[in-house]
Amino acid sequence: MIPPRQDAGWRRSCQAWLRDNLFSSPLNILLTMACAGLLAAALIPLLNWLVIDAYWRGDSPQDCPNKHAACWPFVRARFDQFMYGLYPAEERWRVNLGLGLAVLLALPLFLPRFSGKRWLAPALLLIYPLLGAVLFLGGVFGLPYISTGQWGGFFLTVVAAVFVLSTSLPCAALLALGRRSSIPLLRVCCATWIEFWRSAPALVVLFVAIIMFPLFMPQGFETDKLLRALIALTILMSCYMAEAMRGALQAIPQGQYEAAEALGLGYWQRFFFVILPQATPIALPPITSHFINLFKETTVLLIIGLFDLLGMVQRAASDPAWLSLGASATGYAFAAAFFWLFCFSLSRYSAYLERRASRYKKTA
Amino acid sequence: MKRELAWQAVLLVLIAGLAWQLLSVTQANLARLGVDSGLGFLWQRAGFEISQKLIPYSADSTIARAFAVALLNTLVLAVAAIVGATLIGTAIGIARLSDNWLVSRLALVYIEIFRNIPSLLQIFFWYFAALRALPRTDSSLALFDSVFLNNRGLFLPSVHAAGGWWWVAAALLLGVAAWRLSRWGRKREQRRLAARWGLLALAGLAGASLLLADLSLQGPQPTRFGFSGGLVLMPEFLSLAVGLSMYNATYIAEIVRSGFVSVPKGQWEAADSLGLPRHLAIRLVLFPQALRAIIPPLSTVYLNLFKGTSLAAAIAYPEVVSVFAGTVNNLVGQPVFIMALTLAVYVFVSLCIALFLNWRNRRLAPSAPP
Repeated sequence: MIPPRQDAGWRRSCQAWLRDNLFSSPLNILLTMACAGLLAAALIPLLNWLVIDAYWRGDSPQDCPNKHAACWPFVRARFDQFMYGLYPAEERWRVNLGLGLAVLLALPLFLPRFSGKRWLAPALLLIYPLLGAVLFLGGVFGLPYISTGQWGGFFLTVVAAVFVLSTSLPCAALLALGRRSSIPLLRVCCATWIEFWRSAPALVVLFVAIIMFPLFMPQGFETDKLLRALIALTILMSCYMAEAMRGALQAIPQGQYEAAEALGLGYWQRFFFVILPQATPIALPPITSHFINLFKETTVLLIIGLFDLLGMVQRAASDPAWLSLGASATGYAFAAAFFWLFCFSLSRYSAYLERRASRYKKTA
Repeated sequence: MKRELAWQAVLLVLIAGLAWQLLSVTQANLARLGVDSGLGFLWQRAGFEISQKLIPYSADSTIARAFAVALLNTLVLAVAAIVGATLIGTAIGIARLSDNWLVSRLALVYIEIFRNIPSLLQIFFWYFAALRALPRTDSSLALFDSVFLNNRGLFLPSVHAAGGWWWVAAALLLGVAAWRLSRWGRKREQRRLAARWGLLALAGLAGASLLLADLSLQGPQPTRFGFSGGLVLMPEFLSLAVGLSMYNATYIAEIVRSGFVSVPKGQWEAADSLGLPRHLAIRLVLFPQALRAIIPPLSTVYLNLFKGTSLAAAIAYPEVVSVFAGTVNNLVGQPVFIMALTLAVYVFVSLCIALFLNWRNRRLAPSAPP
């Protein structure tokens, strides 16, 4: 039981907090009132639409008679498509297994006290793509072949983001080193390459890849549409990542380079044993934020006809059976919540990395 | 030194070899497909309509003109979104710094919500859900009987210059000249008289040319099938401008906030102890220093926003990517030059924005380290 005196103190501190933070001056009182009004004006209709007036039961279009309320049966009916795209239902265990395995294997990388990161990360980068290709594509070991045309939904979003991340990191490291190299021509080439792609929008680069890539290849050399799109995104992303890494390389004191050189280490030894371990914590926060952008950017794939999560929602909403404002808006709300959850948690993680990196810099 | 030269020679040979290989393969492919690559297609008849045009255009115009129309549409969208994002972003960023708990929390919630949802999804939401939910033309929302909003777009009164737009441009130029003159005159006593007479003359001329331009407002007139006259903002344009502004505003808000936070507290205290009132301290001490920290990251956001206008292709707003990489490419099938031209637009404009902001930045930071 709380004694009454303490209760009074609590109430007084509560009042003091309110006075200091919400009602400290006439202007502040006005602002508080205006914000409360704004909040109510935005939240009440939203809640009404999303929860109170919404339809929750059933999974057919007849379950949402009012077109001006959220229609959750739409999301329930199409949930599997939102997650897996057109991946055959009986083969979806492969997606679950593959993505589950990825999470399980990558989990140690996020533990601060795990010391084997140095070998686990490259091993994952090398082995997992093979494993994923076998599982998701099939065609070997008795697994039926499933073309990338049937991939879609959230599965495609994750595959695209992870594939592009793992391919663009090594490319970015090379580009960043090239841009800081002592060979002038290499420096100019890398800088031009990076700046050129950084000024082009993702969509245009994707169009270039889809339309032009076949022209650049010898006759009879056909590549998959998804693969072409992923290569385009890799080119783009590696340029952004390269700039993040260059920033980290520049942040390392010149003395570290000189000391490593004085020890008689060669170029690659210097890079792997002296520079990389110091640059990684500095480069990680911007790399994470680029990854978040990449995650959001994968939605652009729907414009070139590859249906990621948003693409599947869009496709389902244009189905004549479900054609209503309630259904499409609910689909967008669902996709938005999904993307938001992922991007928000990633950005929190990035903020945590940043705090850790700043601590690292202070102790160094 | 010798080793470096050798490496450069190897690199040069590699690049030249790769370029030659790519070129020959591409040419062979183009010849096989029967595509005669050249810029000749630009002067063909376009044969398609464009729904939003700022310069006269019809299906009979050339493809080059269609390109100009699309480019103007891109630029208009980019400018609208940049202005919108800057206004919203600055407001939210300042709200983040408010000592009112509710205000700063609301600003934070805004930032966290809109930053973590893909901009394409936001554009889709505005286009397919929000604007579709607006009333039809016959029951449009009206403001003062001159601004109308319905599911066909936003109808605004437009400015009409009966005497020609040249007079307006002249008035603007004269106004700018007067402003420069007033700044020149502020410095010395001797200049002040000359500046005052010059100012009077320039202002008179500017006013006269405004009179000659004969400006008038023309409101949209309701007709049986919608509205005639006035300025129409298509739903595509509206949803793109709103979506891009609100998405990029979150980045600008964070930049503005950290820009103001980056000004050392001592500067505030120094301004205070000099007896500067609060608004002067903000204008003369805080703002110029914050701006120095704000402009470099701001240029990145503007560049990203400009690149983001290409998302317009998803909802068929007629800008460079949808008109050129979409319609024209399907029409004439000249992928190499069309793609090169589209890329060139973005590279060129990005370069211009970067150069302009670099120049502004150098002017703002007189003693910037090299």
